[in-house]
Amino acid sequence: MKTKTKKMTVSIVTALLAVSLAACGANNLSNNESGNTGNGGKGEKVTIELAISKSSQDSAFVAQSLLDEFEAATNIKVNLQLLPAEQTTTVLQTKLAVDETPDIVQYNLASATTDLNLERNFEILDNEPWVSRILNKDVLSAYGHVYSFHVSQDTGMQGVVYNKDMFKELGLEIPKTFEEFLAVCEAIKASGVTPVFMPFKDAWAANIWPAAAFADYAAKNDPTLFDDLNGNKRKWTDVPEFEKFLDQQYQVYKKGYTNADILSDSYDMAVGKFLNKEVAMMFMGDWLIESVSKQDPSLSLGLFAIPSDQDAKLGASPLGGQLFIPKKAKHMAEAKKFLEYIASKEVAQKIVDQQAYVSNLNDVTTPELPAYKQEIVDNYITPKLTTLTTDAFMLVDRSELYRSLQDEFTGAKTPKQVLEAWNTKFAELMKDKGVEGF
Amino acid sequence: MLKRSKSMYAYYLVWPALLIYSVFFVVPAIIGFYYSFTDWRLDRDTITYIGWDNFKRIFSDETLLLAMKNTLIFAIVTVIGKNVLAIALAVALNMRLKTRNFLRAIFYSPSILSVLVISIVFTPMLRTEGMINRMFETIGLGSFSQAWLTDPSIVIWTVAAVSIWQHTGFQMAIYLAGLQSISKEYYEAATIDGAGLWKSFIHITLPLLLPAININLMLTLIGGLKVFSEVFVLTGGGPGNASQVVGTIILRAFGEGSWGLGTAINTLLFIIVTIISIPLLIFMRRKEVAE
Repeated sequence: MKTKTKKMTVSIVTALLAVSLAACGANNLSNNESGNTGNGGKGEKVTIELAISKSSQDSAFVAQSLLDEFEAATNIKVNLQLLPAEQTTTVLQTKLAVDETPDIVQYNLASATTDLNLERNFEILDNEPWVSRILNKDVLSAYGHVYSFHVSQDTGMQGVVYNKDMFKELGLEIPKTFEEFLAVCEAIKASGVTPVFMPFKDAWAANIWPAAAFADYAAKNDPTLFDDLNGNKRKWTDVPEFEKFLDQQYQVYKKGYTNADILSDSYDMAVGKFLNKEVAMMFMGDWLIESVSKQDPSLSLGLFAIPSDQDAKLGASPLGGQLFIPKKAKHMAEAKKFLEYIASKEVAQKIVDQQAYVSNLNDVTTPELPAYKQEIVDNYITPKLTTLTTDAFMLVDRSELYRSLQDEFTGAKTPKQVLEAWNTKFAELMKDKGVEGF
Repeated sequence: MLKRSKSMYAYYLVWPALLIYSVFFVVPAIIGFYYSFTDWRLDRDTITYIGWDNFKRIFSDETLLLAMKNTLIFAIVTVIGKNVLAIALAVALNMRLKTRNFLRAIFYSPSILSVLVISIVFTPMLRTEGMINRMFETIGLGSFSQAWLTDPSIVIWTVAAVSIWQHTGFQMAIYLAGLQSISKEYYEAATIDGAGLWKSFIHITLPLLLPAININLMLTLIGGLKVFSEVFVLTGGGPGNASQVVGTIILRAFGEGSWGLGTAINTLLFIIVTIISIPLLIFMRRKEVAE
């Protein structure tokens, strides 16, 4: 009797388990079906998933008011998947690999080509209705196709962020050469302020100087350089100037023009350092100026080109924060509808106005830009004194280069050794990627 | 009758547990073992078998070798540090002290904190102008000041020290339980025979504490070899690659899209842990004595 009861219990438990496991599968199926029918029919509510890094949660595309309006207009609900900033790439890679794809992904186009296998994983958007209204297709395209969507074409500029008031008080001019830059540092240091803030605990921050300097050198003296590097016709160690640029940044530190503990300080401290007027300059992008002026609009910051060479050009980062639709999106039509909605004249105008974007749609006007931005436009963009930074030309993950840059500042590697280490790693990654010539 | 009492429950009762364990652990582990012999990558459509290539690459990559060296340093330092300190604490807090329970709670408390909290507390303290260096300077030992988290030659030792600080209390709790199961009579007999405190400790406490030592050695050793979170939150493997351990290197490999390589490093870690811990377990078991 007793054994019988036991046997019964066990069978029931096993059956329950089996059912619950099977149910998972069944659920997926029914989801898929409802998705498919949702494509054509109206009225039935569909939920689409939008994956975005937590660090981009302030993006205008995921503002709750916009999502609510979209839902009211189309009966499509957008569910946000906030991914941890540190792991955004890994999580997205995994989701795409196991076909657990979100319907829309916000990511950076340049990194998507290196990290997410753009061609295999994402839908080509050439035939979307909004494409004909786009002013600058380049910032949304790769491999000759439009792969992403954005209402802005302002790519973000990288150079030396500086406190204009401090420069004025000390009677300093914007330096045009590296020697002038060192003189400026000396003058600021003498006034009791830290000339340059280096938050190199975040290894990527050490790359701003070289990324702009390398690109400026290539654009002026060696236009085929990056093609040669990517085709293994030349090596990173073949260009003596690279070594010089790496050493320049190190000299700024070595001469005592920076915060003392550069490898302990992180990027998130930068805004505070500028607000407290503890530092005068930093090698960074104009997004930092935006963050600072949000906290204190009276603080007047500007941006000038990395003074690695006589009259260097201002580094332009590849545009970031585009929206992508994965090929395996379960609600492709609804996802496309979301892009269409944002691209519509009224909605796009509202976003562009709010964010002070440089509009990328021919029927949406660019609002009055903040002073620092207007200055960049006047001094660099209009006279065509900008150049895409090295990042725009790289096909593989760069974090190992950034780590080597940290090594330079611990004294573990000379600039030459940094380039040698990156040469090896770069060749390895390119070979793994299957790039011809490696 | 006797046979029946030996196996109170029928064997088939183990099936549900075994099934879940297989589906969620054994099968993925075997699949992982297979993938470590492939060139599985982010940007490949096909997965091909490449034999031992991933493993050859592991042993020819300087950073990976450095990571293994760091992992071993971390494991050995923490095993010794945690266990020696924990036994000392346990013996001390097994004595009749007024504040005994209070002190036990104090020493145990770090181990219930999240490692993220530990990182937020320790990172500022360990800066070059941080509290620890200032403390050294105040007491006239300025030469002890170090760049704890940014000097490549000492960073892994710093992380190990933080880990010892955090987990010793947990090990102490296990030793305390072990100590309390030792009968007082042995000590009384030893005292009558004229043994001092040190001799009682060596000849009574240590041998009878062996089961607890065993458990703690295993826990700290396996934990030490599998270390990830302490390194990740305190240094992220940096500066450069100076404090990379096998755990963080696996993350790096996955981040670079080299999934096959990442899986291979993981498999290797599994094998290393097994090779070191199982013989040690057998050896230590033999040493155990019955009370």
